[in-house]
Amino acid sequence: MQPESRGLEVAVLVSVGRHPVTGRARRADQDARGLELALSLAAFRPDSRVRLLHAGQRDDDNETALRGYLGMARGVGTGLERLTLLEQPEGADVVPALAERLAATPPQLVVTGARAEQGEGSGLLPYVLAERLGWPLVNGLVEVESIEDDRMTLLQALPRGQRRRIQVRLPAVVTVDGAAAPARQSAFGPARRGSIKVEAALAVPDEAFAGWTLSPARKRPRRLKIVKSASARDRFKAAAGKAQGGGGQLLTDVTPEQAAEAILRLLEEEGVMR
Amino acid sequence: MPETLLPILIFSALALAVIGAWRRIRLWRQGRPAEVDLLQGLAAMPRRYLVDLHHVVARDRAMSHTHVATAGGFVAAAVLMILVHGLGWTNPLLGGGLLVASATMFVGSLFVAKRRCDPPARLSRGPWMRLPKSLMAFSGGVFLITLSTLGLLPVEAGHWLAALVLAGLVTWGLGELFLGMTWGGPMKHAFAGALHLAFHRRPERFSAKGGGTGRSTGLKALDLDDTAVPLGVETPGDFTWNQLLGFDACVQCGRCEVACPAFAAGQPLNPKKLIQDMVVGMAGGSDANYAGSAYPSPGLGGKPVGEHSLERYGSPHGPIVAREGTALVDAGTLWSCTTCRACVEECPMMIEHVDAIVDMRRFLTLERGNTPGKGAEVLDNLIATDNPGGFDPGSRLHWAADLDLPLMADVQQAEVLLWLGDGAFDMRNQRTLRALVKILRAAGVDFAVLGTEERDSGDVARRLGDEATFQSLARRNIATLSKYRFQRIVTCDPHSFHVLGNEYGDFYPQGRDGRYDVAHHSTFISELHEGGRLTFRPWKGGSVTYHDPCYLGRYNGEYEAPRKVLAALGIQVAEMARSGFRSRCCGGGGGAPITDIPGKQRIPDMRMNDVKETGAELVAVGCPQCTAMLEGVVDAGAEVRDIAELVAEALVEHSTTQGTVRASRPATEEAIP
Amino acid sequence: MNREIDTIRRDPRREWIARNRLHPEHLGVLAELGRQGASAATEWMGPNGVIRKNPHAPGFTGPNGLKRIDRSGVQQAAAAGRGAGHRMVAADERRRVTIEAPAFLVAVVPDMPGGRLSSHDRDLLGLARQLADADPARPCAVLAVAFGEHNREGGGELKEQAFAEAGVDRLLTIEGDGHTGFVPEAWLAGLVAVERELAPRHWLLPDSALGGADLGRRLAARLGERPATGVWQVDADATAPSGWRCTARGAVDRLDIQRPLPRVVLALAECAEPVSETRHAAEAMTLSQSPPEALSRIEDLGQVAVDPAGVALAEAEFILSAGNGVKDWEGFHHAARMLGATEGASRVAVDDGFMPRDRQVGATGTWVTARVYVAVGISGAIQHLQGIQGCDKVVAINRDSGCDMIKRADLAVIGDSSSILAALVDVLERDPALTRKGEKQDAA
Repeated sequence: MQPESRGLEVAVLVSVGRHPVTGRARRADQDARGLELALSLAAFRPDSRVRLLHAGQRDDDNETALRGYLGMARGVGTGLERLTLLEQPEGADVVPALAERLAATPPQLVVTGARAEQGEGSGLLPYVLAERLGWPLVNGLVEVESIEDDRMTLLQALPRGQRRRIQVRLPAVVTVDGAAAPARQSAFGPARRGSIKVEAALAVPDEAFAGWTLSPARKRPRRLKIVKSASARDRFKAAAGKAQGGGGQLLTDVTPEQAAEAILRLLEEEGVMR
Repeated sequence: MPETLLPILIFSALALAVIGAWRRIRLWRQGRPAEVDLLQGLAAMPRRYLVDLHHVVARDRAMSHTHVATAGGFVAAAVLMILVHGLGWTNPLLGGGLLVASATMFVGSLFVAKRRCDPPARLSRGPWMRLPKSLMAFSGGVFLITLSTLGLLPVEAGHWLAALVLAGLVTWGLGELFLGMTWGGPMKHAFAGALHLAFHRRPERFSAKGGGTGRSTGLKALDLDDTAVPLGVETPGDFTWNQLLGFDACVQCGRCEVACPAFAAGQPLNPKKLIQDMVVGMAGGSDANYAGSAYPSPGLGGKPVGEHSLERYGSPHGPIVAREGTALVDAGTLWSCTTCRACVEECPMMIEHVDAIVDMRRFLTLERGNTPGKGAEVLDNLIATDNPGGFDPGSRLHWAADLDLPLMADVQQAEVLLWLGDGAFDMRNQRTLRALVKILRAAGVDFAVLGTEERDSGDVARRLGDEATFQSLARRNIATLSKYRFQRIVTCDPHSFHVLGNEYGDFYPQGRDGRYDVAHHSTFISELHEGGRLTFRPWKGGSVTYHDPCYLGRYNGEYEAPRKVLAALGIQVAEMARSGFRSRCCGGGGGAPITDIPGKQRIPDMRMNDVKETGAELVAVGCPQCTAMLEGVVDAGAEVRDIAELVAEALVEHSTTQGTVRASRPATEEAIP
Repeated sequence: MNREIDTIRRDPRREWIARNRLHPEHLGVLAELGRQGASAATEWMGPNGVIRKNPHAPGFTGPNGLKRIDRSGVQQAAAAGRGAGHRMVAADERRRVTIEAPAFLVAVVPDMPGGRLSSHDRDLLGLARQLADADPARPCAVLAVAFGEHNREGGGELKEQAFAEAGVDRLLTIEGDGHTGFVPEAWLAGLVAVERELAPRHWLLPDSALGGADLGRRLAARLGERPATGVWQVDADATAPSGWRCTARGAVDRLDIQRPLPRVVLALAECAEPVSETRHAAEAMTLSQSPPEALSRIEDLGQVAVDPAGVALAEAEFILSAGNGVKDWEGFHHAARMLGATEGASRVAVDDGFMPRDRQVGATGTWVTARVYVAVGISGAIQHLQGIQGCDKVVAINRDSGCDMIKRADLAVIGDSSSILAALVDVLERDPALTRKGEKQDAA
């Protein structure tokens, strides 16, 4: 936080998301959280600049969604007045284009969401970029705690709301977890004013992806409790019977201790008392 | 001596007043341009003042008479005084008139003074406390001087001391009444008010000789295609000039403050203070001179006055709401409003508080992206799923899976289009909808629903300031509606009713005109009953009161139909103290439950207390928001039921043969002629 | 000498009487046969070595004199408890499998949270077995790669057994000081060393937030392989280069992608059945060269204590929610702390100022998807019930047995909420095992 410290150059890779219910194009949730996090870095390095980078097709739907990120600008000077779109044909692998761009003008920090909301959504992109750039990668970022020189201390999300403190050396690639601070509201005005700078870029077709069959997700079959019992009756009951303890058990006229026992038993069964 | 002094006094006062007027007009002209027919407005002004304004003022008889005496007396006295004393036309007729006028004014000002003896909390103090004295000084002074001028004074009036006292009185009076009118004293309201009436931004809200609707409640559209138009109001200069003029007309009578549900609930809003803050923003300075009730503030008695100013950040034209810290108005003030229009309905100066609030909200949402509470989430849901709850739009009709509702997409035309509203996703409101469907079927109404083609009407988005999302929803809904033929739209949601009926007109595609004929379900049921298509069993329940939804009553003037329906059910409504146009809001409008600004109590709790005072066991409502808000009150004495539910329960089903007779319905016409 | 005594002699007449229900001596004979042994009356070895059953033996005579057979198992279970123990013997016996010279290796990198195989790990090992055992002529081995100390579960012996039963043929433990905590770079170096030396045909990792998802992607990126992520189904497919085809989730669970199975696979839980029939060797292996010390640019500074009450409601899996019926707020907060539950509230509790607004559950608050939702003193307004639709199990503690929450609840307790919560806290304080378990989990 020394006054002479340079601002941080942050590149936020943003994608076009899909709303989970309607599938409409929107700013992707994790990418937006990533941008929020990048904007919060100004608290550590006041002169930090955020670069918005997207590689993909250019069409109306995508543009509306991408403007969602521009709408997060508050005031001038944050770098959010412009989004660079590396134009890619349909079915292109965006990694080469992004890697080329990032290697040409390397930022100190690359922020992305954990995975895309459409297409393969494998979440591999940040890893491949980190590999190509030779930078360390930290996944599941929730919060940046401090930045000193070229070291950034951050919190990583673990399951069940737990957190781990990690220090990483910059330049680095970080992916943002869904538990990071939610993105601010995208405002119409700045979104409308912001410019999208379309640039030509390396276009490598994703041939493997083209060969795959895509279909809407099927519901996965629920695994039955496998009961290795000798008794046919027990096996039948396990397969066809209702789950134990269900069906609205009602305890009246019990002592508080009995009630507590019953509740604890259910909590144990459900495995939340760990 | 008076013969020489008076003309000088009068004409210099007039000249100064003109200079003041010019300065005042310059202040108003900071605002953005607005299309106003100046000549027509000026021509309509007397009628607007005498009919519409006095219609509001006359709700308080005593004050109305006082004002007639004082203001009427003053206007007459001022004109005659210029003639008699200024130009020296000492005609006994004119002089007599002047005597009568000033005497009337003096009597009026006595009443003004009486009211100021122990003024209610809603009245502003400060300079307003001096006004009755100034009025008396002017009228008394003019009366005595006129007496002496006409030679009616028995004592020789040339006594220099008496003359000096009289001249002093008249100077004081002239200063307050002529100069104060344009330089910013309490009398400013007369000058600004008159022009405000003439150049009002909603000329259609005034009655007309030919008979107009006299109601204009739809919000004005924001032109999103023109990037030069600011998105809402950031600085006072972003208001239109006639809005600024309107703020200047405020008399600080505090009727709005009494009516405001947010103020009563202790939320940081006082409509009167807000308007005064707008005047401060326009004229400069801080709110330190404000002498009325402050914005309530939980914990404190009220927000301290004097800390708010535009100049805090060095610029007299800075933002009204600061990004951080305080400027002129805190954001919580704007977001406390339920847009219930109770203030607008009560305002004797016809000021449009709700328009101003929504204008400022537009800026906060569209430019700052700072909608508080769950506002951002709701707006995102509206954009992505076309409903505020973020539900799957495909599940809009799931509640009616067993009802086999006719879909517009299948039937293409129907007599009635049943607009379900977003209550279709709410399990409580689904009961109301089922009841309404039962009623329509019992009456043999030919109706159909849009089903999954329906979207949120855009009401919440618009009140939260997101004009862009509202317009997008409105345009798409209009496109859907224009595919089908129907005679009218019936809905049980007054918010949809208002938006469809009053606010969609600005977005019809080129070449279409007219408005949708939209009816609230209570109106429609009332008509069905009058047409003999519904028969009810007599009411056997206990006493019932009725809560007027703001968007049905104040916004659309429908106070009668719900009461008619209740009467037809055999229910005698035990009216609440605040009912009809004075109905107190349930707290559910304007996105207030979404922004959720804390106060010291909740608005619905207050409303259920109103219900309790009537002793009613049941409160009938006609709005999904009101149902949700009032039903959410804990330990409420009364049950909350929608009118449709009450009707459906009391329904005597007709035999099917009668139902088929109804099939000979009038031929369907196009909805929009 | 007395061979006759040992010989079972049949009495055809008595057998005939036992079969003939109308015979006057029927009941007597049955009783006599029954006395010979608990099971002898119903089942016996026939002359041809076939088990014979007496269909008349089970059951009892009902009150109206008719014979009744209870098939609910109540009687049977009672009978089994008495006589039959011999049936249960050796039910747990697993077939032992040892693969000496595998044709190739399928490598699995289990998460091992808390040093134990998770169910996700076992599913993955099941999938590995499926790939390894596809061709009986060319058996392949499943290699488990584990990092650091993983012997918390009762020491080496038990650990080996757990791996053996989960289907591991070879076990490679990469140890070293640098392998504790979150050290993705060191782990990756270890896996790369395995790749270089053993070149497994497939790499399987759990696509889980516990670490597999991250490590698997790192590995794939390092190896230059394009992995299949979110795999939940693998089928044989002769046309695919690897002989397998997989179905993977894409686009945040909105798409199913059918593609040939690549080398690196990140699979979801329940991607295959865990091994249950066989026991494998779990033979320890070592690398000939220890992996190089990687330059570390990521440093684990340890886990941060997180207050469960601070976990976002929408994320929480265990919620203790308070409503109008809660009077003892101190007790409620204490119970939530003891249970490690996230606190929720009904709208009323929020409106009354007892709980902050972000804790409100319901249609107008947060929609929750907890595994267990405990509603304390919440009567169940419709908006609230709407908000908890996504919860698996609902427990209600309420005074009023007629309220809607009781109808929704899977377990409802009628009584005073403060005393029940106090009793819960009591039990937890008395039984330190529960709380210790909690601590261990946090450390994991």
